[in-house]
Amino acid sequence: MTFVKRYLIPRLIAYVLVIWLGITIVFLIPRLTPNDPVLAMIGMMRARGATLEPGAVDEIIADLTEMYGLQGSWLDQYWAFWGRLFRGDFGVSFFNFPTRVNQLIATALPWTLGLLLTSTAINWTLGNIIGGLAGYYARKGWSRTLDAVAMVVRPQPYYIFAFALLLLLALVVRLFPVTGGASLGATPTFTWAYIKDVLWHSFLPALSMVTLGSAVNFQTMKLIVQNVNAEDFVQYAKLGGVTEGRIVGKYIIRNALLPQVTGLALSLGQIFSGALITEIVYGYPGLGMLLYNSVIRADYNLIMGITIFSIVGITTAILIVDLTYPLFDPRVRYY
Amino acid sequence: MKKTISRREFLQGAAIATTAMVASACCPTPEPEVIKEEVVITRMGETVVEERIVTVTPEPVEKVEAADVLGTFPRSETLIARQLTGRVGTPDNMNLWVGWKWQDRGLQNLADEPLWSVDFATGEIVNGLAEGDPTYNADFTSLTVPLRQGVAWNDGEPFTAADVVFTVELLMQYDGLNGHTFFVDNVASVTAEDDYTVKFELNQPNSRFHTTFLDRWGCTRIMPKHIFEKEADPVTFTFNPYVGCGPYKLHSFDPQGFWTAWERREDWDKSPTGIMYGEPQPKYIIIQAFDTEGTQILAQLTHQLDVAELSADGLKALLAQSQTSRAYQPTFPFVVNNDPCITGIVFNTARPPFDNLDVRWALVLAIEIVEYMSIAVDCTGTVSAIHTPHLGPYPKLYHEPMQDWLKSFTIDVGDGETFAPYDPDVSKRIADYARGRGYVFPDTPEFIEKAFGLGWYKYAPDVATKLLEKNGFTADKDDDGNPTKWYLPDGTPWKISYMCGTILTNHDARNAQAAVQQWKKFGIDASVFSTTEGDPLGSTGDFDVETVWPAREPWGAGPDLYRTLDDWNSAYIKPLGERTASAYHSRWSSPTMDDVIKRLRETDPFDTEKVVAIGTEGLQEAVKNMATVPTYGYIGFVGWDEYYWTNWPGSENAYNEPYTHWPNFKYFTPFLKATGI
Repeated sequence: MTFVKRYLIPRLIAYVLVIWLGITIVFLIPRLTPNDPVLAMIGMMRARGATLEPGAVDEIIADLTEMYGLQGSWLDQYWAFWGRLFRGDFGVSFFNFPTRVNQLIATALPWTLGLLLTSTAINWTLGNIIGGLAGYYARKGWSRTLDAVAMVVRPQPYYIFAFALLLLLALVVRLFPVTGGASLGATPTFTWAYIKDVLWHSFLPALSMVTLGSAVNFQTMKLIVQNVNAEDFVQYAKLGGVTEGRIVGKYIIRNALLPQVTGLALSLGQIFSGALITEIVYGYPGLGMLLYNSVIRADYNLIMGITIFSIVGITTAILIVDLTYPLFDPRVRYY
Repeated sequence: MKKTISRREFLQGAAIATTAMVASACCPTPEPEVIKEEVVITRMGETVVEERIVTVTPEPVEKVEAADVLGTFPRSETLIARQLTGRVGTPDNMNLWVGWKWQDRGLQNLADEPLWSVDFATGEIVNGLAEGDPTYNADFTSLTVPLRQGVAWNDGEPFTAADVVFTVELLMQYDGLNGHTFFVDNVASVTAEDDYTVKFELNQPNSRFHTTFLDRWGCTRIMPKHIFEKEADPVTFTFNPYVGCGPYKLHSFDPQGFWTAWERREDWDKSPTGIMYGEPQPKYIIIQAFDTEGTQILAQLTHQLDVAELSADGLKALLAQSQTSRAYQPTFPFVVNNDPCITGIVFNTARPPFDNLDVRWALVLAIEIVEYMSIAVDCTGTVSAIHTPHLGPYPKLYHEPMQDWLKSFTIDVGDGETFAPYDPDVSKRIADYARGRGYVFPDTPEFIEKAFGLGWYKYAPDVATKLLEKNGFTADKDDDGNPTKWYLPDGTPWKISYMCGTILTNHDARNAQAAVQQWKKFGIDASVFSTTEGDPLGSTGDFDVETVWPAREPWGAGPDLYRTLDDWNSAYIKPLGERTASAYHSRWSSPTMDDVIKRLRETDPFDTEKVVAIGTEGLQEAVKNMATVPTYGYIGFVGWDEYYWTNWPGSENAYNEPYTHWPNFKYFTPFLKATGI
């Protein structure tokens, strides 16, 4: 009960407050920008060649304002927004009117989750295992070689790296498709053929993220392991005749993993924002492009929908890490 | 006894589960199947035999399974074009009569057939569902539209006058449908005189009523009565699949909105396209959205995209790398230069000093147009001295007949001095400059006029100086007497903020950069103000100078300039701060222009002689007042891949407008030729 009273309840209150504050800020920020979703839509229609006769614009403005639910004061809109939110409804997307935000997010989310969960899991696992070993065997030739490779790969601007990969493997070698999440004409079905097609399309985006992400995790883990390796308790274990495998596995990597677990949780929370550059370069149909387009087109409801996912995702991830930390670190106790 | 899970066991279990999930998500990537064989390639009149890669991408699955499960299209029978408006936001909603529906995803350009449409390349009005022009009564209060016989919707139902009547009556009934107010305001009644004749009675005279059905990238489209009449609420009806009278019907679409696939109708001969031009050649057409230009280029280089639409630099990159891609023009300037829009400069005439005609003319005469064209578009545009582009019927109807007037037109410089600003040799000077930059192109007067236009205004900084000094402006000058810094009549430095959008490759930004450079050279502190808020700032008059459209394009075909001139109607002008009803942000009008508009409105749009005479007066009034400055016609950068399809409507064979996003795309599908690869 001490844990519940002294830690869990205050922590859950803080969790709810952070989410409320984040959502309120998300509600306000788009309205403080000079972008007007109604005028943005009219500008887009004009720029794209639609015929808008003189006098028709005022009528369109009135119609769009009504359809988008932008009548009334901000306070009116704020209450209406919370009312919808509690019903699990983010309203309609302005730019994609009359498609509902829920539908847009539901369509994009599986793509983002599929790509980012897989690539994050792979790059975290690979980077930490190899980085851990390289940190322990820091004086070995292979470790120094890997370190040199990581030093070259890690500073590469992601956009350039991703595009170079695309040029090499989609244009020069032509092993992979140039764009898209699946082949033209492919209908989403739960069949092996479709899954293979999706995996084939997601290979390049995943490879680009895994390569750079692994390099980051490799370098971080290597440094942490080198530091832990110099700790007294490790030296004591070595002097005490503990086997090398046990020292690496139980004494060093487990201790070094703690900050990496926190980093993993944050990365997983951020998945709900999508991977904008990856999606742009590879034409991947995830949440990142959806968010980007909603920002430049002042699509308030869609911005709020995606950002709320992100806020809830990150705060929940942190909450979970906080609550499960004793599982990873026996020294941590909340009671 | 209760079994407790230790921390270690929990972590081990979680690790095993995660590993299993990751392993199950992985699979071997398919082997690429690359087949080469000799194929005959016809390109620019030259036939060669080359070894070409026939299959350039891996087969994602076995062929039989792919056809069934993935719906794979045979590439040699499929044309893939880029979607101009990007990813579709409402993929499963094709109700074009409600809001914005990404109509270039194939709805307007493949599946729909309007009553009439505009072909700006040929200068013709194409009869679609209509059999011919409408006939108005003497006072333009009623009109009769003859309809084409033998047309069927793509579900087999015949198209008749009942569909037109139903559409108009439904639009008048529901205020959530596009065009509701227009039809309520204009239409007293609509009746079917017989199965193929529709008569409209109007509430008041309107000689251009029929243009609401004239497709120039948007119009009032006709609904299939037999489908919409079954729907309780036509506003929420998604109209999926789309049923139209065009030659293609919906095959499938990406739920994410990246592509829409269309299949040629089996009864294509019952579409106006088929009736007029024959069988469309591609069996399938896919309209695909791309997020970046780089991806478009890569897709075309790997033959996964037949029609790319790029920036100037993107087109250069594509042509430099591709063996099979071509541009609209086979030689310099390569670009599509027959778009029906004119670009240029817009002065805010409600804000001093741009309310002063002398100031506006001084700014025009401070521009060296050859340098301007070089800065803006590397000399690839076609200049125009009047507010209509140099394309289609307009050179013969307006540009050439107005040459004498332009040459004799003078402006008052002061002290009894006049100046003739027009320079008929501009296009030759641009051609010489381009040739000097190493570009190769035919040296014939016909080509030079078509590529570079007829003439523009002189570079006369001395006259510009006189015009400004006449109005109290002062300038610091160098030893040669050239102005280096201009001051307003109140003695403060003259600053001009030129507003444009944020995409620097667009023509608003190109005009802005070029004009600002020229005005800086003349000693004015001019700068570019790049913003995403151009529409609200422009429409409320919160700017000095902006761009991009100095005048709305005419219909793109036919002699009627009513659409171009009507936006200068004084009735649309509002005070600064209020949103103008006109698309023109210059806030300029004149009694003469109002009179021109009124007379044009009262003239039969099919009476070419009268329409041209009144239209010419309108253009002269626009030139005299220079509230907006026409510079060059809008240019597009199209890259066509000739690997699978040839006989594109390029400049040497402009049998149709060239854009696949335009409604007239369907009309050139019968003329495309498969290479047989």
